[in-house]
Amino acid sequence: MRHLLMTLSLMIALLSTAQEHKAATAKTTFHRETSVSTSIKADPAIIWALLTNASDYVRWNSTITSMEGEIAPGGRIRLRSTLDAKRTFKLKVKEFQPASRLAWGDGKGLRTFTLIPHDNGTVTFTMTERIGGLMFPMYAKYIPSFDASFDAFAADLKKESEAIADHDQP
Amino acid sequence: MALSEHDLTAEFERTRGALRSYILRITANRQDAEDITQETWMRAHRSLANFKGESSVKTWLFAIAQNIARDHLRALKRWPENVGDICKEAAMSDPDFFREAMTIHKTSPQARFEIREHIAFCFTCVSRSLPLEQQLALMLKEVYEFTVKEIAEIMQNTEAMVKYWLHTGRSRMIDVFDRRCALINKEGACHQCTELNGIFNPKQNAQEEAVKIQMVRDAAKQDKEHLFDLRMVVMKELDPFTSPAADLQLHHLEFDRQVMEGRPEQV
Repeated sequence: MRHLLMTLSLMIALLSTAQEHKAATAKTTFHRETSVSTSIKADPAIIWALLTNASDYVRWNSTITSMEGEIAPGGRIRLRSTLDAKRTFKLKVKEFQPASRLAWGDGKGLRTFTLIPHDNGTVTFTMTERIGGLMFPMYAKYIPSFDASFDAFAADLKKESEAIADHDQP
Repeated sequence: MALSEHDLTAEFERTRGALRSYILRITANRQDAEDITQETWMRAHRSLANFKGESSVKTWLFAIAQNIARDHLRALKRWPENVGDICKEAAMSDPDFFREAMTIHKTSPQARFEIREHIAFCFTCVSRSLPLEQQLALMLKEVYEFTVKEIAEIMQNTEAMVKYWLHTGRSRMIDVFDRRCALINKEGACHQCTELNGIFNPKQNAQEEAVKIQMVRDAAKQDKEHLFDLRMVVMKELDPFTSPAADLQLHHLEFDRQVMEGRPEQV
């Protein structure tokens, strides 16, 4: 009985860990929304610095192949990602609340990043992208799934943030 | 804890060399290094009563110096990582550069050319390709051996941000030198140190000279972090004002600064 309970506990723990990183997509006729969330053990300032330093993205983020511009209030960025290697996304920074909320997008989509700090020293990072509009049904089938890319983004951010926070030098 | 004028003077004299070399390495400007060091002394003296002993006197002095230097540095463009290529091309088309360098080499007692001196010079230039805060934090930690807490005090920011700057700056420098430096990567594009050794020390075998340096000997191990640490050992061992190659390297640095920034500016 005890062994069974321990096995069940382990399975629940593994499932909850897996779900924490897993991206999910919800679709309607005119919109598609992908979201991923993960818990990061690092100061929000470190996570925010990684999210807002455009020239550093390629170093730590395996989903971004190039990024130029300034991630600042009203700033503009040019981004290439592994989702579509040939396309350059020209985006505008639409929200910028330091260490809390960031959003960039264009006429078709909006990507939002939120950081929620907790008393135990962890931060819940959530990234959501909502794309769509009246014409969405016409081009929806040409847009690849974001799920794997979102999982990789969140995992990369967690790994890099925690590596910096664990900086073992005095 | 109050600080007496006598104690401040004594500590400043102990710190002056490191302070001056730090300012030189972040500004690449000999005159600025002298001026800011002097200005630091005057400001510390004026604000002696404000020293509360919450940090060491050395940390306090570096914080004052950095405050003076930072506004000036913020107004300047950052240098590209291939600064060496750009300045080499400029030097090749400027007959005065080698004429002056040769005169210094022949007449000054502090103008030997050594590959390890050029390694330190090279890091000073290439580190200016980092965002300013990353360059300052990296130099304070890796060369001047301040703690993260002390760097946060000097830079008036949080320890979390200092950790971010250190991690990012170090990663970037490791990547740049791994791609560019032929001393540690046979495919590296930059051979400038061994080329210059051939010009200033034509009787020497540059490769034999290079392998006297631990970083070059350990290059085959391909541990990039370790090689970066050894590069920092070279930096720590040399004072750019008092080393046996100081006059030659300072001439070279001033040339590079003028190529990258134009005419000399006063702080």
